[in-house]
Amino acid sequence: MHRHRQLKRTLLFLLVLFIVIFLNLPVIVTVLNSFKATTAILSETNIIPSQPTLENYERVSQQTPYWTWFKNSMIVTGGATLLCILSATLAGYALSRFRLVLLTVYSRSLLMLQTFPLILALIPLFILFRDLKLVNTYLGPILIYAVAQLPFATWMFKSFFDAIPKELEEAAVIDGCSQIKAFRLIVLPLSGPAIAAVTIFAFLFVYNEFFIANIFLRKEELMTIPVGIQMFIQQFGADWGSLMAAATLAMLPTLIFFMFVEKYIVHLAVGGAVKG
Amino acid sequence: MNPRAVPFDLKSLVFGRQAGRARMLPYLFLIPSLALIILIQFYPFATGVSYSLREGSLLKLEDFVGLQNYQKLPGIADFWRALGFSGLFALTNVVGSYLLGLGLALLLNLDIPGRKFFRIALLIPWILPSIVSVISWRWMIADQYGLVNMGLKLVGMNPIYFLSTENWASVSVIVVKIWRSYPFMMISCLAALQAIDRELYEAASIDGAGRWQLFRFITFPHIKNVSIVLWILMTIYSINDFDTIWLLTMGGPSYATENLIILAYRYTFGANKVGMGSTIAVITLLILLVLGTFMLNRQSKTAFDQE
Repeated sequence: MHRHRQLKRTLLFLLVLFIVIFLNLPVIVTVLNSFKATTAILSETNIIPSQPTLENYERVSQQTPYWTWFKNSMIVTGGATLLCILSATLAGYALSRFRLVLLTVYSRSLLMLQTFPLILALIPLFILFRDLKLVNTYLGPILIYAVAQLPFATWMFKSFFDAIPKELEEAAVIDGCSQIKAFRLIVLPLSGPAIAAVTIFAFLFVYNEFFIANIFLRKEELMTIPVGIQMFIQQFGADWGSLMAAATLAMLPTLIFFMFVEKYIVHLAVGGAVKG
Repeated sequence: MNPRAVPFDLKSLVFGRQAGRARMLPYLFLIPSLALIILIQFYPFATGVSYSLREGSLLKLEDFVGLQNYQKLPGIADFWRALGFSGLFALTNVVGSYLLGLGLALLLNLDIPGRKFFRIALLIPWILPSIVSVISWRWMIADQYGLVNMGLKLVGMNPIYFLSTENWASVSVIVVKIWRSYPFMMISCLAALQAIDRELYEAASIDGAGRWQLFRFITFPHIKNVSIVLWILMTIYSINDFDTIWLLTMGGPSYATENLIILAYRYTFGANKVGMGSTIAVITLLILLVLGTFMLNRQSKTAFDQE
């Protein structure tokens, strides 16, 4: 009986392992191909590189502005994340601590806005930002990204703050502390890990984003990584080696940051699907 | 308790029971968010709707023409095709990603060694930047040397030109979209599955219920409400998708894979017809509003169930 169960576990393990490899095959092949010369990518049927080389990475570094795009991505993503987190912590705190009609209206409107087609807002924003000379600047996309991530960040903070007992602040307020001070001195220090997690999630979403950056960053020296790579595909679509190397470089920050927040992902998914 | 014991008091609903300056406090916390939302969402969404009543280009907006754009829209064949493709894209993606996601969630809910690792690995397609996913898939389905066509050649079949024939291009964008969507379904279903009391299964097994009966009478009823929310949510996400389609096919070949978002984008930024582009976007908004209302109702029901 025991051996039977052991066998079943092993078979299940192999089945899931096969599925995992199968579903991740596009990614695995991309990473492996990035270490092959383009000629080898096109001619070899073997997936594993027989003569591993870094020449694709050298070419991407030297002949494309990849690291400029990387710098742009970091500036835009960092700025948007900071702005978003600052506004969302405050709003999340208000939603968590006060039960008022207007706050419910606010929270519901956020949810509705989430479902709106972005393109409808991007058309007037493009005209507005052009008049304000914000097209082809970092500030334009930073503002839009900060708002795009605001609903999600606000709800995450609300649910994290919900878990911090209200009594702590009430005691402080009785002792003569103002509510804002109580938030700053009691709630914020207790929510360090939560703030870190939400920050990383917001960072991931903005770093990955293509649509908005594609409209507002049209100069090569200002492009973020996704827009830069897309331009590269259109110009050098046949240079598979460089494309695979650029894709591998682009996924590294995503994978690394994801490892830090992986344990919060269920919280995020459930928050999105069930609680809103 | 007698409900009349609590009189309806608008003031305390809006301001709470605080007095003096403290009553404004909750709203002070909202000021930074509200400022951003008004500038980047309310203003442009309202302006976008007003653009749909005008003619003009990105450089110069012309006069208001009333509902003319809306009257012209039904005569545009591109619109009906994009509407149809948006629907097909959403439907196939919801069904595909839900079935795959639920299947994987059921597997991951079993006692398997390395479960945590598998869970992380299966989330990868969801967290990757769209551009990375698309490059990976472009190679998989590349015309001659791509992995799929190499495989077809090995078994003696003719290569398939995935991105240059209309039907195969549609299949390709749908498959890639399902690939990018299933992890969200999986992780949400898994969370719902883990909330089910295991004793229910034991009791039913003792009563002689089979595997399918366990799923039908215990598992599915428990995840039904979450599932409905997920279907609506994924429909909204699919209709709003730009990246997957644009980066793979740009809506081609001959507009076969163009959805409403890409059509609005093409009219506005390609053909420079801001009025018609905005009109298409407003129609998309109306469709999404209906879905969003459904979802809000469903979510309050689900939240209620859980309390």
